[in-house]
Amino acid sequence: MVQLEKVSKSFPQAPRLLDGVDISVPTGCRWGLIGPGASGKSVLLKLVAGLLRPDAGRVILAGRDMTAATEDEQNEVRTRVGMLFQNYALFDFMTVAENVAFPLVRRGGVARDEIDARVADRLRAVGLAGSEAKRPSELSGGMKRRLGIARATITQPEVVIYDEPTAGLDPVTTSKVYDLLQADHEATGGTVLAVSSDVAALRSFVSRIAFIYQGKLRYDGPVEHIEEAEDPVVRQFVRGGMEGPI
Amino acid sequence: MTELVERVGAQALGMVEAARGLTNVLVRTLARTFRRRRGEPGEVLRQMFEVGNRSLVFIAVTLGFLGMVLVFQSSLQVSRITGDPSPIGPQFFKILVHEFGPTLTAQMLATRVGAGIAAEIGSMVVTEQVDALRMCGVDPIEYLVVPRFIACMVMTVALTIFAVVVAFFAGALTAKLSFGVNPATFINFAEAKVGDVLTGLTKCIAYGAAIPVVSGYCGLTAGRGSEGVGSATTRAVIGSSFTVIVLDFILSSVGYFVFQGGA
Amino acid sequence: MPVKTIAGTLGSTIVGLCRETGGMTVLLWRVLRALVPPTLDWRELLRNLHKMGNKSVPIVVLTAVFTGGIMVIQSGVFVRRFGATGLVGWGAGYAVFREVGPILIGLMFSGRVGANNTAELGTMTVTEQLDGLRALAIDPVRFLIVPRVVAMITMLFCLTVIGDLVAVIGAVVVAQALLGVSPWTFYWSMIEHLHPVDFTNGLIKALAFGFAIALSSCHFGITVRGGAVGVGRAVNNAVVAAAVSIFLLDFFLTYILR
Repeated sequence: MVQLEKVSKSFPQAPRLLDGVDISVPTGCRWGLIGPGASGKSVLLKLVAGLLRPDAGRVILAGRDMTAATEDEQNEVRTRVGMLFQNYALFDFMTVAENVAFPLVRRGGVARDEIDARVADRLRAVGLAGSEAKRPSELSGGMKRRLGIARATITQPEVVIYDEPTAGLDPVTTSKVYDLLQADHEATGGTVLAVSSDVAALRSFVSRIAFIYQGKLRYDGPVEHIEEAEDPVVRQFVRGGMEGPI
Repeated sequence: MTELVERVGAQALGMVEAARGLTNVLVRTLARTFRRRRGEPGEVLRQMFEVGNRSLVFIAVTLGFLGMVLVFQSSLQVSRITGDPSPIGPQFFKILVHEFGPTLTAQMLATRVGAGIAAEIGSMVVTEQVDALRMCGVDPIEYLVVPRFIACMVMTVALTIFAVVVAFFAGALTAKLSFGVNPATFINFAEAKVGDVLTGLTKCIAYGAAIPVVSGYCGLTAGRGSEGVGSATTRAVIGSSFTVIVLDFILSSVGYFVFQGGA
Repeated sequence: MPVKTIAGTLGSTIVGLCRETGGMTVLLWRVLRALVPPTLDWRELLRNLHKMGNKSVPIVVLTAVFTGGIMVIQSGVFVRRFGATGLVGWGAGYAVFREVGPILIGLMFSGRVGANNTAELGTMTVTEQLDGLRALAIDPVRFLIVPRVVAMITMLFCLTVIGDLVAVIGAVVVAQALLGVSPWTFYWSMIEHLHPVDFTNGLIKALAFGFAIALSSCHFGITVRGGAVGVGRAVNNAVVAAAVSIFLLDFFLTYILR
């Protein structure tokens, strides 16, 4: 369960990037976020993960108030959360297998051979079997992203956050990635937050979708109804039209 | 005029902010060092190897030349004033042990190791690997700074001992070749007392603790892109060097009062 | 897969050393050629002077104050033992002007301005701005590097002068506070035993150090490879090379200038 209550965030070069945003994602829901470039989507995900602190408002992640928590308490929550970063953020000083195993090793309480088995399993699921000993620098962009997904999901977390899971991928690979995300979600039943600039593909995956523009949420509801949204900005963006407020 | 005041004010605020961040890192590093759960001893050893391996030749060369210069200068002065070279060796060793050995080794390490730490950690910040570490429930200070902290303190002591040996024998060579001083006269450790050794050791540990903390802080606060990493590296070298000098002043004063009988 | 033997590592280190030294010599040649006749961009020169001076004066001044104090503390033992309060000024002054001043100020300058310079040039190389200049038929050496080299040498010279004087102030304060040596005694001690040549020798060293730092930082800046990590590595290498050069030059100059 993920909640944002009147969250605001400003940067020196982007004042009022997020302005009193309210979000409520129920447990088990697949929630998507779309919006124009530089509208604060990645920043919002980082606020959810507690990597950034909001200037105002509260963030509740997996039932815990992240805004009031210390770094140690936040770390404890994060062991139950997985995140795929926009630029993968893979550990370049570790091998592929070590990257995937890392969250599980840090969480503790799992035997070494169990860890190895689960790592092998994950790598097979994302199509990277056989690359265990490689370094991230030796992988292609698509492979790096799949490695990122494997690392984000190895602990079967309660909440998974995907920042641009299919950016720059061809349509076939895109649909394969979403098949994978769907299979993962059905297996674990956790909550999923996904940001994507590929609106069409994202719509096929999520059940609820939100649109952010100029610091505020202009739509947050079932994905089927977004095209008939009252807000003309939302309609223009979703339909990809050239004329309109944007 | 107001612009000048603004600038000075902004600088001062920046320094206060930096001081706060630095103290934060120092406190957390110390706390984590003593509270290490599931520590990876391999990492500390790896860092020690990094520090030592990359610095051995560098320190040998710089401190070797320094030893030669210092002995040359002091022999020159002595030959002009008293003409008796016998106190040079022992006095040189004494000052090497409690001042130039630790301080100049640390200055060299601040350059080599400080820049390295800031560059490594800074690159990780810029590529969001530090964020990824936090997402895996890892405290970046515990994982990145603490191993380097322990390793650097140990290696500063080790490398200083090495440096003192190199500098002393380089000095002995210079004394023999340029002024005909008998090595047997030069190589005399009598002047180095317990106080000198203690002062020198304390300095080594203080410097070895300061360099990774300052450089780690600069790395962790790196800005975006390659400029961010470059800037972090620069700040680390300067910050570490300056901290070493200030610590030198403080510890030298303390050493003087404690071991020389006070003011 | 290259074989990692001791001979191999030693060999590659030596090759690397030759490559960097060679690179710096080539750069030196190009810089000297551009200086005769002096065809540099005066605006760039002024801009660099301003920037480098701005960045380094505070840190050099602070370093110098503490260094002067440390030299007095070190000589404190002798003074107490031999009662030679009349020699404190001479001892501290000699050490600071001839050796410790130029070396420590040089190291600080290298760490501050040299590293910054390498980072800037490195970033420009990585973002292909140098190639961009060449495409506009502008010689990067003449336009970018020569002003920086001249600015760095000039700046280090001035900073050493300022630093030496400030170090003396620090020494005077500590001498009074710690050893009870009055500023007058200190002053007369300096005047009596020190010669102008002690001061100027240090400045000659400063010029040489400035040259070394400038060449090192520019060379490593423009030969950067590999993005953000490469820039960090270049800064590291530049500062190390400058430090080694400083100590090497110090040794030779001390011998020559005695």
